[in-house]
Amino acid sequence: MISLYVGSTSGYTGKTLITMGLGHRFIRDGLKVGYIKPVGILPVKVNDVLTDNDAWRIYRALEMKDPLPEICPVVLTQELEVKSYREGIKGLMAKVVKSYNQIAKDKDVMLIGGYGSIYTGSYLGLRGLDVINRINAKAVLVVKYEGEYIVDYILQAKKDLKDRFLGVILNKVTQELKQSAYDYTMPFLQRKNIDILGIIPHDSIVGSITVEELNEMLGGKVLCCHDKLTNLVEHFLIGAMQVDKAIEYFKKMRNNAVIVGGDRADIQLSAIESGSVCLILTGELYPGEIILSVAEQKNIPILVVREDTYSIAKKLEKLSVRLRLRDKAKVERGMNMVNEHVNFSLLYKKMGINHM
Amino acid sequence: MLDNFFRAQSIAVVGASRSPGKVGYDILKNIIQYGYDGSVYPINPGAPEILGKKAYPSLLDVPGEIDLAVIVVPSHNVLEIIDQCGTRKIDSAIIITAGFKESGIEGSKLEQELIKKAQEAGVRFIGPNCLGIIDTHSKINASFAAGMPAKGSIGFFSQSGALCLAVLDRALPDEIGFSKFISMGNKADITDMDIMLALAEDDNTKVILGYIEGVSDGRKFMEVAREVSRKKPIIILKSGITTSGAKAASSHTGALAGREAAFDAAFKQSGIIRAHTLNELFNFALAFANQPVPRGPNTAIITNSGGPGILAADACDKSNLQLIPLRKEYVDELRTFLPPVASFYNPIDILGDSGAERYEKALTTVLKDDRINSIMVLLTPTAVVDVEATAQAVINVARLIDRPVMTSFMGKQRIDAAAKILLKHGVPNYSYPEEMVSSLNAMYRYHLWLQKPEKNFPVYDGYRDKATHIFQTVKRDNRDRLYELEVRDLLQVYGFRQPKSLFARTSEEALAAAKELGFPVVMKIVSPQISHKSDIGGVKINLQNKTDVEIAFFDITTRVRYILPSAHIAGVLVQEMVPSGREVIMGITSDPQFGHMIMFGLGGIYVEVLKDVSFRIAPLSREDAYEMIRETKAFPLLRGVRGETEADIEAIENSLLVLSQIASDFPDIIEADINPLLVRNRGKGVVAIDARFTIGGG
Repeated sequence: MISLYVGSTSGYTGKTLITMGLGHRFIRDGLKVGYIKPVGILPVKVNDVLTDNDAWRIYRALEMKDPLPEICPVVLTQELEVKSYREGIKGLMAKVVKSYNQIAKDKDVMLIGGYGSIYTGSYLGLRGLDVINRINAKAVLVVKYEGEYIVDYILQAKKDLKDRFLGVILNKVTQELKQSAYDYTMPFLQRKNIDILGIIPHDSIVGSITVEELNEMLGGKVLCCHDKLTNLVEHFLIGAMQVDKAIEYFKKMRNNAVIVGGDRADIQLSAIESGSVCLILTGELYPGEIILSVAEQKNIPILVVREDTYSIAKKLEKLSVRLRLRDKAKVERGMNMVNEHVNFSLLYKKMGINHM
Repeated sequence: MLDNFFRAQSIAVVGASRSPGKVGYDILKNIIQYGYDGSVYPINPGAPEILGKKAYPSLLDVPGEIDLAVIVVPSHNVLEIIDQCGTRKIDSAIIITAGFKESGIEGSKLEQELIKKAQEAGVRFIGPNCLGIIDTHSKINASFAAGMPAKGSIGFFSQSGALCLAVLDRALPDEIGFSKFISMGNKADITDMDIMLALAEDDNTKVILGYIEGVSDGRKFMEVAREVSRKKPIIILKSGITTSGAKAASSHTGALAGREAAFDAAFKQSGIIRAHTLNELFNFALAFANQPVPRGPNTAIITNSGGPGILAADACDKSNLQLIPLRKEYVDELRTFLPPVASFYNPIDILGDSGAERYEKALTTVLKDDRINSIMVLLTPTAVVDVEATAQAVINVARLIDRPVMTSFMGKQRIDAAAKILLKHGVPNYSYPEEMVSSLNAMYRYHLWLQKPEKNFPVYDGYRDKATHIFQTVKRDNRDRLYELEVRDLLQVYGFRQPKSLFARTSEEALAAAKELGFPVVMKIVSPQISHKSDIGGVKINLQNKTDVEIAFFDITTRVRYILPSAHIAGVLVQEMVPSGREVIMGITSDPQFGHMIMFGLGGIYVEVLKDVSFRIAPLSREDAYEMIRETKAFPLLRGVRGETEADIEAIENSLLVLSQIASDFPDIIEADINPLLVRNRGKGVVAIDARFTIGGG
């Protein structure tokens, strides 16, 4: 049995989806796969069992049969948070190990999902690095590719992980940064003997969000087209220019949502006419009847939010790094990408699995 | 006041010109040609004589006294002329010259210097950048307007010179009489307020008319208007009202305010009659200038055709006026001379074959009913009717009574001559019945204003000191928003009842709190980053037992973790569940021109959509509070519909007054709202469920 910790050097790099993709492939290749997420940060109750939302999605995606409570032994609820800071909690590592052992019993591969970076969790006594050492796991790092400078973090992690470190998967590599990845980062890492286990391109559909989720995140009100809340938004645009420029601008981006002041009827119309999939009206200013009726005709949902355009844009920027994997089609697409862009033969070799 | 402007014995035109078409020429010509009998001194260094008047090189060279200087020199010379005015002890000037504030930064600086210079020289001035003034009684036309209006009792001031011209031109053919015309220009020294006060004292002026775009000191403006409107009606057309003010507002109560609301409230509170269009401005002015104010709402309509009568009746229905049936004896009297198919009830349709005689008889009969406070006469130009004779008949009756009589002789070609006769004898004629009704209604509303007792401003003393520390803390922390617990303290100090509540960090603590308060309870997230709790699902109500509390705690805190992972969750507030009531909202907003306003409206989640809110400028009088509640469309809901008990409206009034006191006590508040304020049944009071306060101004 080998255990593989999927970690990273920062939060929101796409660990969950990659873990899911890896697990899926392992199963397809005939391995018995187990999964555990030592620390969950998205509490959810499933049939009265407290677990983590991402863990629960992986549990279901991999069609696991293990007892659900063991999948995520430590869930960061408000209670736990308050207690850990105000009183201190002991014995969490033991709890994690116990759950791990229980699930690992009859498996070929154990996937372990990290939270935050491999350095996160010290205050709970559950730092990623410590968990890796404690359960004697190998580790891959998922790195959101933001430029060549990320090699710094990888080098540090390699030093800390020592021979447990198997390599990196560069994730969300955009068209703009592709060249940087191939020309600079790859040669550098190869020279440092760090294996690149995969380069996964950025995908705007996987990175998309439904209008409904968007509304929930922004605390808005849906004014029309409630049946179109499943529209996927891939890009956000700010409507603050003159109308003649606006239409051109809106047309350039597929599946865009336009953030615009509630009093800018001209821009709102331009957005609707140029095929945006959602309007986000800021400043708690409600649109006129005409806008509503046009939106209804074209079936484009309108959200009204309280904050101003800048604040909303700022929020959305944060939002885009922590997307949720709720949409089935999105998840499947993501898993396929993992399958396609991860070098599994190299990974298996590094994991010491003799396979195919 | 301002006597030297309107009763000048001698006028100097500085910058008088010999060239027709130049402003300096037109003004001099206007002063001379309309029969001004004082001394006129053209000032022009290059001309010995202009338009038959001896000219002087400078003010300093004029031998006699000068009461008023009209200045038309280029802008860079104006300061020097003001200096000369000071030397010559001329204390009044009209500065026609443009090129000041309205023209940019340099002009703005020049205007500041002008103001300073004029103060030093002891000169009061109208303008700069104005058209001048006209007084039809002293026959001063110190303007470059084309024409002189008829003598009359309407005093008109305007921020826009162009509008003066338009109004004047509109008035000329109909011989609508004015007492004074004042083009205010940039209002650098003499303002609307000075003019209103002057017109209030002017015996020739019966009604004050104004066009304004903005006021510099909203409070002062209201104060003056309130005083003046007790003496004479003030009718104002305010332009430049847009929704752009709403953009600045940060929370929804502010967004509902905007400048329109501020002016609307200010006008209502100071007795100003607001005209929404130029047409209305004229219509109202004609009514006030020519007819007495009705002493009650009861009105009668006499018409020779059904349709217009119904239109007028519809308009009455939407106004404060009432159409009441005549006493039986007068209905019987009408029957003696009207055809049997006539309509004897109000509106009284005397049929299309009516001549002047039938009109006169009907009018006389109707006016015998002393309950009728005003009468409106409608006429459509049928083939049989002698329009002019009918006009004369109306005049015959109107001059005998001190109740308002108005007409709407509809049409143009066959009506114009009669309309002129009517107006000449003080009966305003309106082209359409709705205009007539709205004008009469404006007069009736003014009557109501005059009847209003002096305002009663309750003072809630002694709370401020107990709350000062809260605002000090907020300022010291360099915050703009009061924390939830601070808001609770503040409202507590001012005597607002609030639901009992306890803070809890964990679900165990929440449960203990719920037990102490007693089930059912409400739970709300407490986080400095979250102000609109329910937007993000941070509020759960009606928690009945242990399980409910535990689930609610989990749900609320988890939700925030999902949506705002960076927010600090301090814990939750567990509150007693207040027995049901009707939800209203009240708030404080701040207007750049009028300062604090108090807002009231229907509460709940639809407040932003329905915008059923009313505003008053603080401080509120008891009457203001009374009115603003009744102004909302939701008021019937408070009074109770379908057998519901009446809500505690008096408690709402008191709450509004206390809120107004808070606004007065803490000028730094820029925005606040209590939303919702739960209103229980009459006698049971109100409970402030949730509130927010924001301060500004450092």
